[in-house]
Amino acid sequence: MSAWGLTIQRASRSRLFQVPSLLALVALMILAALVSPTASDGSRIFFEIGNLTDILRQVSVIGIISLGMTLVILTGGIDLSVGSVLALSTALVASVLTRPLLPGAPALHMMLAIGVAVLACGLVGALNGLVVARLQVQPFIVTLASMIGVRGLAKWFTANENVDIGFGKDVAAQFADIFRDKTVVIGSYIAAAIVFWVLLSKTVFGRHVRAIGDNPTASIYAGLPILKTQLWVYSLTGLLAGFAGVLYAAENHQGNPNAGVAYELDAIAAVVIGGTRLSGGQGTIIGTIIGTLIMGVLTNILRLNNIDSNVEMMIKAMIIVLAVAVQRKGRQ
Amino acid sequence: MGLLLAEDISKHFGGIAALSAARFELAVGEVHALMGENGAGKSTLARICAGSLRPDSGKITLEGREVALNHPLDAQKPGIGIIYQELDLFPHLGVGENLVIGNLNFAEGVLARPKAIEDFSRPFLAQVGLTVDCAAWVSSLSIAQQQLLAIARALSMNCRILFMDEPTSALSEDAAERLFEVIALLKAKGVAIVYVSHKMDEIFRLCDRVTVLRDGKTIGTRMTAQTDRTELIRMMVGRDLDSAARSAKPASQAVTLSVANLTTRKLKDVSFELLQGEVLGIAGLVGAGRSELGAALFGLDPILHGRLLLKGREFHPCNPAQAQRHGVGLVPEDRKLQGLMLQMSVKENATLSVLKRVSRWGFLRATQEKNLFDPAAQRLRLKAASPDLAVGNLSGGNQQKALLARAIFADPDILFLDDPARGIDVAAKEDIYRLIHELAASGKSILLASSELSELMRCSDRILVLKEGRVTGMFAAADATQETIMAAATHSFAQAG
Repeated sequence: MSAWGLTIQRASRSRLFQVPSLLALVALMILAALVSPTASDGSRIFFEIGNLTDILRQVSVIGIISLGMTLVILTGGIDLSVGSVLALSTALVASVLTRPLLPGAPALHMMLAIGVAVLACGLVGALNGLVVARLQVQPFIVTLASMIGVRGLAKWFTANENVDIGFGKDVAAQFADIFRDKTVVIGSYIAAAIVFWVLLSKTVFGRHVRAIGDNPTASIYAGLPILKTQLWVYSLTGLLAGFAGVLYAAENHQGNPNAGVAYELDAIAAVVIGGTRLSGGQGTIIGTIIGTLIMGVLTNILRLNNIDSNVEMMIKAMIIVLAVAVQRKGRQ
Repeated sequence: MGLLLAEDISKHFGGIAALSAARFELAVGEVHALMGENGAGKSTLARICAGSLRPDSGKITLEGREVALNHPLDAQKPGIGIIYQELDLFPHLGVGENLVIGNLNFAEGVLARPKAIEDFSRPFLAQVGLTVDCAAWVSSLSIAQQQLLAIARALSMNCRILFMDEPTSALSEDAAERLFEVIALLKAKGVAIVYVSHKMDEIFRLCDRVTVLRDGKTIGTRMTAQTDRTELIRMMVGRDLDSAARSAKPASQAVTLSVANLTTRKLKDVSFELLQGEVLGIAGLVGAGRSELGAALFGLDPILHGRLLLKGREFHPCNPAQAQRHGVGLVPEDRKLQGLMLQMSVKENATLSVLKRVSRWGFLRATQEKNLFDPAAQRLRLKAASPDLAVGNLSGGNQQKALLARAIFADPDILFLDDPARGIDVAAKEDIYRLIHELAASGKSILLASSELSELMRCSDRILVLKEGRVTGMFAAADATQETIMAAATHSFAQAG
């Protein structure tokens, strides 16, 4: 085996098994630097603060969803409904904001809107979790069904129309101003990432999540709280998708029942590129963050160099396959 | 000139040397045992010779010619076959299909041809004495039958060299006898067999020569007629072992568990009492209900009828977590399927059931975990290159010790051990027997289910015998003999049911 192969293998075996994906990210950034268009003063546009923070902001919505998706995949499950849940969230938050509910208290109104959206999405997640854990239906099937059903719910709720958030002075517009701000968006992602990193790596709950995905049968024998853990994992994913939807609504100034289509695939891609196994039991939040950033940097490189977005999708597909193949090689 | 010669074979797994310049030589038509502690490298060596693993370095010579075995088919062509401990059959395919899949001797066309498959399979199945329908799914066969099927498959590939990895670990005593007959048959046909095993009795009975590995190195090769247990153990372990004998200390008379008319799906009207500090052996053939008894006590199988009294109070086990809270523990039979989280470390596996003890407000405390785990690892002689290494990479003995640690941490009053020493090397077995002895001495009650009568007789105070879900005998270990236990285990009932 080559020295390079042995390095990857050793890294994959040890605690730092996200080293391969980290190296990929670094390599990608070097590539980005090399192909980056230059500004008039000669500096590379890629490394401008504005561009780098743009990347972070662009990946935040999917990034937040991917955090929940990491937990779900770690338990050996999958959640295909996150895109539809995001759509539902945008519809709810926009609808509550544009209704004259609490005229004199804009802050409260905003909190109500966000609360309703996020909680509703959490409940959808809880429902997913309940069917998976109690009725023991395969997560793929359950969340496929909710993907379709929740999308229908969102479209029915808004009567198939977008709910516009204007650019004026009303509470909805104020909400949009606050929650589309770069700092708020990036800050939310970082905050969520930290919370979930701690949750997964430092808590009893996180240990249970990994154990259940590693060996469901042995988890029963070990007396682990499987029902409770699965319920929480899917609920948290719903909550995160809900919050991602809030940010989405602010960014796009509308509640859109058709939003988030195929977001679940981007989230799964980020998780998988980051080194998490789809079979469950192995993976980290850090890995998912790296996977998210890899996708973000890649998109940025292609956009800066004016590559057709369709070509972009094809390249993304190749990267996903490559990433998984490299990791599998390392594990053997 | 030997038939097969593997020289200077080295293999690393992530920094651990599984084999270091190992040497193995097989002569024509012999039955050659490959012995060693778990982690010594026996299975690795077998896999390399069978083409499933590629060595980092070394040379394999077949009848004087060097061969490159980069793929299982490279080994199949010259007639090298291997039967794994876990049996690599396809459970949802038929018997015949399993025989012809990947078989170079069977010309697969485009379409499936059941008749051709059956014609091909019949003779080989007959040779091993397997009388089953060719279309029957493998999952419907017993483990013993599946193993015979694996041998039939090897025969159909014109095997001249057959590696068998722990072949009797999942077999009852009479299925093992049948296997020995088949091995004699193979030997008569000129097939050289490499018998990877820990079981001394079998090795001295079946094998012409034995090669001992230790820590990945070849220690030596002996003719079985010219050596004895002590020498082999010394070669395997590098030191003389002191056997942990069961002391004559009588258990107290306090009844910890009283089982009356216990009836589940598999068990019928089982009654017995378990005393404090006692080791109760559970004997019986495969399928007699040993594991089912553990499952019932641990809340995994619903109890249809009967009464359990735990320390005098009624006990209704409904799930493992609840059983654990009541002081009942279980170490399951299949450590890979039912016990271990293979991707987690030894430490994580061991502490899994008692995370409350190593955490505060839901947050894990690494120091507390270390303080809980380290003394236990030392006490159990759990050797791992690094405590953070995934447990799937460790030897069977260490894996089993991790599971024992997990069960013990929950501080049970009653511990059901289901075949804890299966597929484990001699030294680790001794460690486990010693642990059982210590646990009983400290007042815990142990239920030891096992397929090895000598193990039961050695470790137990009393032995309960099951057959087809019923109790057919209860012996004091001092009075029992292998014959009386076997008789009770195969006792036929006068009336049906």
